[in-house]
Amino acid sequence: MANQLEAELNKIVSEITEIPLDKLKPDADFFDDLKIDSMKAIEIVAAFEKKYKVVIPEEEIPKMRSLSKIIAFAKDKIK
Amino acid sequence: MSWDIEKIKSVLPQREPFLFVDEVLRVDTDSFTVVAKKTFSPGEYFFKGHFPGNPIVPGVILIEAMAQASILLYAACKPEIAALKPDYYLGKVKSEFRQPVRPGEPVIMEIKGLKMINNAGVGQATAKVGENIVAKAEFIFGVIRKDAR
Repeated sequence: MANQLEAELNKIVSEITEIPLDKLKPDADFFDDLKIDSMKAIEIVAAFEKKYKVVIPEEEIPKMRSLSKIIAFAKDKIK
Repeated sequence: MSWDIEKIKSVLPQREPFLFVDEVLRVDTDSFTVVAKKTFSPGEYFFKGHFPGNPIVPGVILIEAMAQASILLYAACKPEIAALKPDYYLGKVKSEFRQPVRPGEPVIMEIKGLKMINNAGVGQATAKVGENIVAKAEFIFGVIRKDAR
């Protein structure tokens, strides 16, 4: 289940950012390393919320700076 | 709750001939939904060329109309931000068009907010003429307060 979740999140981020899956390192910083702009970041958040029917509070969004942080949040919220 | 053109103009910076919402029929901030209407009159400037003798609303104008309705939804959900008269700019649009829209046909646009935060919004729009879907779009837009430029 956890691996499936990670695979799905990787796919979402890869599709939105157009970064190939093999280049998406879990700890790469979206802004500093991957050069993702704020519009793509909010698109990732909205896609995540829509797929998993969860809400990421606005104050949490700036902390979602890498795939690993999104995955950690997801594992905590999606049981 | 509905909004007339004066209320719409108090939110949108666009003006004629580039104001493409006539009326807001319904605002529901609980479900993040706005339903807005636009009827393109035969005298709209773009019909002269799109197309001569066969007027059809350009797809980009339908996108703009839905984007303007999305801003109205944002203003309804985030009135404290909208009151500061921020700049709204489109970040990304995914759209599809299913049927042509002709002058005089009332276009009903339903916008659903997927995410509305202080500096951005994500919304899904469906535009209908009667029961027929004429266009669909998903918008991501940024919101920049003038004091943050």
